[in-house]
Amino acid sequence: MLGEFEYLLISAASGLGDQAYSGAIQREIASTTGRRCSIGALYTTIDRLEGKGLVKTYMGPATAQRGGRAKRMVRVTPKGVQAAKSFYDAVTGISRGARWAVKDAGGAS
Amino acid sequence: MTNAGWRAVELAAQLLDHDESEAVLGDLVESGESWWRDLLDISGLIVRRQAELWKSWRPWLASFGLALPASFLLMGFSLGVTRSFRHTGEAGLPLLAVRILLLGTWSWTGGYVVAAMSKRTLWLSVVSCCLPCLFCLARFRVPSLPSPCLLLFVPPAIWGVWQGSKLSGIKTRTAISLAAAVTLLTLLSMGQGLPAVYWVLLWPAWYLAATAETSTI
Repeated sequence: MLGEFEYLLISAASGLGDQAYSGAIQREIASTTGRRCSIGALYTTIDRLEGKGLVKTYMGPATAQRGGRAKRMVRVTPKGVQAAKSFYDAVTGISRGARWAVKDAGGAS
Repeated sequence: MTNAGWRAVELAAQLLDHDESEAVLGDLVESGESWWRDLLDISGLIVRRQAELWKSWRPWLASFGLALPASFLLMGFSLGVTRSFRHTGEAGLPLLAVRILLLGTWSWTGGYVVAAMSKRTLWLSVVSCCLPCLFCLARFRVPSLPSPCLLLFVPPAIWGVWQGSKLSGIKTRTAISLAAAVTLLTLLSMGQGLPAVYWVLLWPAWYLAATAETSTI
């Protein structure tokens, strides 16, 4: 099963589609969770996911905005999609009875 | 971001693989953070990368199983070769030639294996070799011999390191021939009173022979 950060990374990459690369994923995670992830955590997690066959990376085009440097593009593999779906199902399943997940539970207490 | 600060970030990035360094520096340029924040970020990645490398047995063996002990032995052997060169007569020339060849091949194979075994931790293997050299040079007290004679093994070792880090591997036949030749030279020298501890210096040659087909740098 995926870890929390692995799931965030795969979900961000999947949402970004063809525009998924390390920097964009980092920004996406930061804007969604409100937490900045370090380059070290991001790159080592991408490597680990690639090692498991859940994502595939390749060097993309260089842009002037990046000082003429190439991007590390990330594409989620079908196996990655399956792993993320399993994680999502598990989290939504286990959260079903939790107070914060039940809308009519009488508010947070 | 100051130029000097960014230079420090770029310098640190050289410790990463080329592609990764490109991607990381690009991401940092895009992020527009301060240089010290970038430096902190990239240092974190470098530390993680180095920590991953040290989970393997290879850098341990290369640095502490080969570079460190071999540098002591090779300094001792370099000293012996220099003495032989000074005092040998014409009758001793063949043995001197064997010892010079042996010094060259032991040093070359040692350097090659250190680089091939763990290229990305080569810096520590170099430190593991240099520290004993500095220690022995500082304590060298043989009036009749110049202290640099301890370092005769260094040029072939550097050549071996250079080749080990550049070549993609070594052919099986070449590696086995080399290992057999070094073993023969060692046997010849053992017959002439070389201490048995020098057998240890044979293992890089046989390691090369054993890993020749699968050797990747």
